[in-house]
Amino acid sequence: MPRDLTQEIHNLIERGRDRQLRLAVTGLSRAGKTAFLTSLVNQLRHAGIDARLDLLKPAREGRLLGAQRMSQPDLGIPRFPYDEALASLSGEPPRWPEPTRGISELRLKLRFKTRRARGLLGDTANLTLDLIDYPGEWLLDLPLLGHDFLGWSETQLAAMGPERQRFAEPWRRAVTAHRPDETLDETRLAELAGLYADTLRQAREAGFSHLQPGRFLLPGELEGAPVLQFFPLPGIAEADRRQLEALPAESLYKTLTRRFRHYQQHVVKPFYREHFRRFDRQIVLVDVLGALNAGPERFEDLAAALTTLMQSFDYGKRGLINRLFAPRIDRLAIAATKADHVTPDQHPHLVALIESLLAEPLKDLRYADVPVRAFSLAAIRATENREVESDGQRQPALRGHGLDDAPLLLYPGDVPARLPDAGFWQRQGFTFTAFRPPRADGGALPHIRMDAALDWLLGDKLR
Amino acid sequence: MSDPRPGRRFDQPTASDERTDDDATLRGAHAYLPEQASTPAPEEEMPSPALDAALAPPRKRRWGLLVLLTASLGLGTLEAGQTLYHATLGGDWLAGAWSALGLLAIGLGGKALLGELWRLRKLRRHARLRERLDDTWPASGEGAQENVEPLALAEALRTQMGIAQGHPHWQSFIAAHEAHHSAAETRELLAWHLLRPRDQAARRLITRMSGETAVMVAVSPLTLVDMALMAWRNIAMLDRIAALYGLQLGYASRLRLFREVLRNMAFAGASEMVTDAGMDLLSMNLAAKLSTRAGQGLGAGLLTARLGLRAIATTRPIAFTADERPRLADLRREVWQQLRRLDDSAQSGRQPS
Repeated sequence: MPRDLTQEIHNLIERGRDRQLRLAVTGLSRAGKTAFLTSLVNQLRHAGIDARLDLLKPAREGRLLGAQRMSQPDLGIPRFPYDEALASLSGEPPRWPEPTRGISELRLKLRFKTRRARGLLGDTANLTLDLIDYPGEWLLDLPLLGHDFLGWSETQLAAMGPERQRFAEPWRRAVTAHRPDETLDETRLAELAGLYADTLRQAREAGFSHLQPGRFLLPGELEGAPVLQFFPLPGIAEADRRQLEALPAESLYKTLTRRFRHYQQHVVKPFYREHFRRFDRQIVLVDVLGALNAGPERFEDLAAALTTLMQSFDYGKRGLINRLFAPRIDRLAIAATKADHVTPDQHPHLVALIESLLAEPLKDLRYADVPVRAFSLAAIRATENREVESDGQRQPALRGHGLDDAPLLLYPGDVPARLPDAGFWQRQGFTFTAFRPPRADGGALPHIRMDAALDWLLGDKLR
Repeated sequence: MSDPRPGRRFDQPTASDERTDDDATLRGAHAYLPEQASTPAPEEEMPSPALDAALAPPRKRRWGLLVLLTASLGLGTLEAGQTLYHATLGGDWLAGAWSALGLLAIGLGGKALLGELWRLRKLRRHARLRERLDDTWPASGEGAQENVEPLALAEALRTQMGIAQGHPHWQSFIAAHEAHHSAAETRELLAWHLLRPRDQAARRLITRMSGETAVMVAVSPLTLVDMALMAWRNIAMLDRIAALYGLQLGYASRLRLFREVLRNMAFAGASEMVTDAGMDLLSMNLAAKLSTRAGQGLGAGLLTARLGLRAIATTRPIAFTADERPRLADLRREVWQQLRRLDDSAQSGRQPS
C-alpha cells in the first residue's frame, strides 16, 4: 500500500507540474494502434539520431534528447510488447505486429532541453508519457454504459443494415421462437448467445465495426462464463417496459437484463474506470481505406461506431484543478492511417474524407472549443513513391511488397474527397492493396507524418 | 368666412389597383428537364480585392517625368551623335571629343537608369512572390488547393533569394522534404531550413547596429552629426538586411523599400508599439538617470532596432508565425548593456584622474 500511495502522490505532483501526459490512442480493431505505438516508441527512441522528425519542433531544434521505457505504474497489467512487435517487423519476411488480444501499458520518459534555462533547475526536463494498448473490439463497449438492457436491445436491432440482417437470420429465427416471459435453461441460453456471437463474428469478417458487445468477439479470460451469455431481444420496445419489469425473476427477459447489467458493471465499467477516464490528449486512428474497400454500408457503420465511441470521452479546456483531479482531453488529432497505401497527391482527399466521416463528433468538439487537427499518416511506411511512364504520361505509383511478399509496383487508385453515390459502388468500388511492412534494420522506422502528429499532440509540452 | 368642409369618404383602393409596374415583371414557375445542360450559378464576387486596393497606398505613375526623361535622353543622344558625325567629317577634333564624352555620359546614365529599373522590378517581383507564398499556403490541410505544387514554390523562392542548388541550407531542406508534405508543412520546413539562418544573421546585425548607433549618438558632440549618423547607419542596415534575403538594392528600390518600412512602422506597427513604448520610455528614463546623452543614445538605438525588425518583416519572403517573430524586448536589453558598458568605462576612466 505505501508504495501505491507514494506512487499516487508522485503522479499528482508530476501532473501538477504538467510533466505527465496520458495519451489515448483510440481506434477500432485493425486501425493500426499497435503499429502506431510501436512506431511512436521507435521514433522517440531514435530522436536526434537517425529518425527523420522534421515536423516535430523540439526534435528539429535538436532539443529532444530521446526517450526511455520506464517501469509502468500498474504492475498488474502486461507491458506493451514493443520488442515482439519489432521482432515481427524485422522477421523474414517482415510481418505486421500481431493483433492485440489484451490490455498492455507503456510508460515513456521523454527527456528534452528546455527553450530557456530554468535557473537552478538546469536546462533539461522530463515528460512522462503514459500509453495503453488494448483490443479495438473492447472499445466499442464503452457506449454500452449509457444504456439499459431494453434500450440497448432496441438500438442494436435498429442499427442492423440489410447485410447484417442476413447474417443475423439464424439467430433471429431461433430467438423469436421464445417469448420474453419464458424460462429457458442454461444450455439453451448458451446456444442462443453462441448464435448471436456467430452473427457478430460474421459481421466483423465482412468488415463491419459497430459490433457490441466487444467481448463476444474477443472474450479474453471470460470465455464461456455466463456473463457473456446474453443477447438483445427482438420484439420488445420501450412501450412495454412496465409489463416486462413485472415479469418473474427467472423469465428470459429478467435473466438477460441481469447478465447485461453484470457485464456493464463488472466488465465494461472497470475497463473504463481504470483506463479510459483520465486522458489529456487523444489520437483517433481510422482505417479509412479499409472502410472504402468494404463498401458504403460498412463506411456508414464505421461513422456510427466512431460517433458513439467519441461520446465516451471527456473533452474540454484544462486548468490546474481539473488537470489534477478530473483530467479532460484538451487536444485531439484524428488520423487516417495507412496513408502510405495511396500516392502522395491523394493525401488531401484522405484528410477530407476522414473529416466527413467524423463530421458529427467534430461539431461537438468545436462546441467544446477543443482544437482538432486531421492528419493522413502512416506509422510504419511500407511503400516507396515512384513515377511510371505509361501512355506517354507520367503517373505516380507505389512500390512495395504485398502481404504474400510478392514485389508490387502499382497505382492504388484515387481516393474520393467525399463518399461517392450508390451508383459508383455498383460500377467500380475500391480495391486498395495491402502491403507488408518494410524490413526493420535496427534504424528508425520510416513513417509518414508521425512527426507532425507528435508535434500536435506533445509539442507544446516540450518547451 | 367659409363653412367648414364636410367629411368625405374616399374609395378604398383594391389590391388590383395597387398593382404597380414592378409586379408585371414577376415571373411564374418554370420547370426544366433535368437533362438540360446547366452551369453552376456564378458566385458573388469577393469584395476583398477592391478593399485591398483601397487600403494600399495610392499608386502614381509619373508619366510627365518619364516622358521628359526619355525625350531628353533620346534627343541628347541624337544631338551628340550628329555633332560627332559632323566633327569627324569637318576634322573638328575638339567638338568631336566633347560629343563623344557626352555620348559616354548618356550611355552611363542610361545604364544606371536601366539598372535601377531592373532592381525595382526585382523588388516588385519579391513582393509578388511574398504575396503568393502567403496566399497559397493556408494554415491547415483542409483548404489546401490541389493545384499548388509546393516544391515549385520552394524553387521559386530559392531562385529569388539567390541560393545555389548546392548550398547546404537548400540541401538540408531537400533532405527534409518529402513528396507527401502538404503546402503548409513545406512552408514550415522552408522557414526553418532557408530562412532561420538568415533571420539569425539579421538579428545579430540589428543588435550590433542598434548598439553601435546608441553609443555613437551618446558620444557625438553635435545634433546635426547625430542626425546624419542615424540616417547613414540605418540605410546601411536596411541594405544589408535586404541583401540577406536576396534583394540587391539600387537607389530607387532602396527608397521604395525604405518608404515601405517607414509606412509599416507608422501604421502596421502602431498597435505593437503601444506595448513596447511603455518599456521604451521606462528604460530611456533609466538611461537618462545615467546621463542625458545616454538617454538620447538609447532612444536612437531603439529606433534603429525597431526599424531593423520592421525591415526584416517587410523583406522576409514568408511572414513570421507568432512565436518565430523576433521581439524588441530581447534587443532592448542588449542595447542597454552596450550603454552601461560605455558608462562604466567612462566612470573608471574618470576615477584615476
